[in-house]
Amino acid sequence: MSDVSLVGKQLPSAPLEAAGPPYFADGLWQGTVEIMENVQLAQDTFRVRFRCPEIARKILPGQFLMLRMSGCNDPLLGRPFALYDTTQSSSGAADGLDVVYLVIGKFTSRLSQALPGERLDVWGPLGNGFSAMPAEHLIMVAGGIGQTPFLAVAREALELRRYGEPLRRRPRVNQVTLCYGARTQEFLASVEDFQELGVDVRVSTDDGSFGHAGLVTEVLESVLDQSRLRPTILCCGPEPMMAAVARISSDRNIPCEVSLETPMACGVGICFSCVAKVRQPDGRWDYRRTCVEGPVFGGQQIDFS
Amino acid sequence: MPDRLFQVGSPSTHEENGLSVQLGRLRLPNPVVTASGTFGYAREMAGIVDLSRLGGIIPKTITAASRAGNTPWRTVETTGGMLNSIGLDNDGIDAFITGHLPYLASLVTPTIVSIAGRSQEEFVSMAQQLSQCEGIAALELNISCPNVSGGVDFGTDPDMCARLVRSAVESSDLPILAKLTPNVTDIACMAQAAADSGADAVSLINTCLGVAIDWKRKRPVLGNMFGGLSGPAIKPIALAAVCKVKAKVDVPIIGIGGIANIDDVMEFLVAGASAVQIGTANFYNPQVCMQILDGLPKALRSIDADSVREIVGSLQHRSPNPPSSAVAPTSQPTSEA
Ligand SMILES: Cc1cc2nc3c(=O)[nH]c(=O)nc-3n(C[C@H](O)[C@H](O)[C@H](O)COP(=O)(O)OP(=O)(O)OC[C@H]3O[C@@H](n4cnc5c(N)ncnc54)[C@H](O)[C@@H]3O)c2cc1C
Ligand SMILES: Cc1cc2nc3c(=O)[nH]c(=O)nc-3n(C[C@H](O)[C@H](O)[C@H](O)COP(=O)(O)O)c2cc1C
Ligand code: FES
Repeated sequence: MSDVSLVGKQLPSAPLEAAGPPYFADGLWQGTVEIMENVQLAQDTFRVRFRCPEIARKILPGQFLMLRMSGCNDPLLGRPFALYDTTQSSSGAADGLDVVYLVIGKFTSRLSQALPGERLDVWGPLGNGFSAMPAEHLIMVAGGIGQTPFLAVAREALELRRYGEPLRRRPRVNQVTLCYGARTQEFLASVEDFQELGVDVRVSTDDGSFGHAGLVTEVLESVLDQSRLRPTILCCGPEPMMAAVARISSDRNIPCEVSLETPMACGVGICFSCVAKVRQPDGRWDYRRTCVEGPVFGGQQIDFS
Repeated sequence: MPDRLFQVGSPSTHEENGLSVQLGRLRLPNPVVTASGTFGYAREMAGIVDLSRLGGIIPKTITAASRAGNTPWRTVETTGGMLNSIGLDNDGIDAFITGHLPYLASLVTPTIVSIAGRSQEEFVSMAQQLSQCEGIAALELNISCPNVSGGVDFGTDPDMCARLVRSAVESSDLPILAKLTPNVTDIACMAQAAADSGADAVSLINTCLGVAIDWKRKRPVLGNMFGGLSGPAIKPIALAAVCKVKAKVDVPIIGIGGIANIDDVMEFLVAGASAVQIGTANFYNPQVCMQILDGLPKALRSIDADSVREIVGSLQHRSPNPPSSAVAPTSQPTSEA
């Protein structure tokens, strides 16, 4: 595979299909970039923006990149982050990247203090990304910081922007809904970004401080009950939530893709850290590298036990 | 940073460059080799590394039967390094030969296959099977993996190490490298055992045993509890191992441990390593081997050397047996690349 933009075309079209061959990062770019903007969006949640045309013009929704502080050995390893969105030059060409991140540890707290002009090492695009399968009603289910891969998905599905090199065209989706579960109202980030695109955003919070009080899966069930279109589910969040969503989709026989957030050390397939239990054609599971065979899998492919 | 750093060199150019090194029967075009378990099966890196420029490639250790590997979490970062307990996750020797070897054999770069057996017989049968295959330059015996329970510990008992190396040397025509663990009292004694049994070189070091604790959950961070420490944090330990073995044993050494830039490479060569392996640095700087190869000729010139070989073991001692605090610094490392 010589061009990473082919990746989307080679994805399994049926979500029940076993993982194909790994998507090696043959279109990988590694380099140093300067932070242009680093702004707080919500409690412990920030968006960092940097110019990086090399990755921006290739990356597809659901793919990720590795980030580390340039010239700094503590933290040492790169950290994986989903594409939030690309930025465009005045001519409309993709020239920069946005990453939205939650502060949970060493790297993310360091990054949250970084000022414009500070340098990051970055490499990507990595992983397979969501498949551009035809859907009438695209329902994206996010928990925690799991909404990050979905802005670009929605933008593409609503034909507001095309991604990849050459630019990929995905079949138009009639309706896009985001079911978004957060701990409290304070953690809700980037809801307006989705609404501006015309995405129907349905929120749940654990404490009822905003939207439905309870689980995001309850929101999903009610959206499914009301939808009269053919639905497709995409999901990203904590594992128990993804397991529940995968179960709902299988009970209702709805195509479903999940994007895993397993801890990673390299992002390119050389360390075997990032494994998940992936069902094999013979029905048994095997530990497979999510950075090259994922991070997106069919909901029924993952053994969440 | 340029997009790609391609600079293809034929083996003969390397000779003229003075970069080639000899490890017993094994000749490498240059001393920069990728360490087992830190470079996948090489194919993963073809998009960002010009594989033809490497001195050698050691794919992930293979075992006789396939192994699922350890329960996640398998790696965790610690200060200046990382712990891993991958557990030799691999599809077994047959899948390696059909699935990965054809690609590796198609490269001009020498492939050194790393093997681990649970018994001497298993090591021998793997060595025999691989000796029948085209495209393998040498075998590295991984007798030092800390992540495999149930196996016999060839890495800590000099007699067992000697017998194992001897049987591997006798059962294969390929050069044999013995990869040793630092988790022993006297690594020179293990290197001596390997050298006496005919090992072409010793690879020093594998990871150092470590644990990371999540005190809030009162649990070990790694699924397997124990892991191997690697990365910049272990470089001084690895350099000490190279110095100890160099002082006592007449065997070529491949230095491994925390190497992340050209200064680190030069330190190992001066300390007595004939070649080096790059491990963890590949994870956080995928182009590290290319950057090191770019810097090698200039680093050699800066100390008026024409070849890698002439600086190997050129370390000057102040006294024949100095206390560790009295060792003079041998180079002034510049800042991290
Ligand atoms: C493909 C992919 C895409 C991702 N996209 C995003 C994104 O868009 N935005 C975002 O905020 N995060 C994302 N993540 C998660 C992100 O990589 C981690 O939050 C980040 O590595 C934490 O680094 P740190 O140094 O701040 O935390 P560390 O200091 O490394 O860890 C702090 C604590 O968090 C735990 N932890 C660390 N990483 C993970 C993990 N992956 N899963 C569960 N617990 C973890 C550790 O055990 C530790 O207790 C993604 C992960 C993957 C694999
Ligand atoms: C994730 C990981 C996996 C490894 N797997 C293997 C392996 O399969 N076989 C082996 O001989 N060494 C393995 N090692 C050890 C390395 O080859 C090397 O000896 C060690 O990491 C020290 O070098 P470094 O500090 O440059 O990483 C592994 C190391 C890491 C970090
Ligand atoms: S993160 Fe290293 S193999 Fe996936």
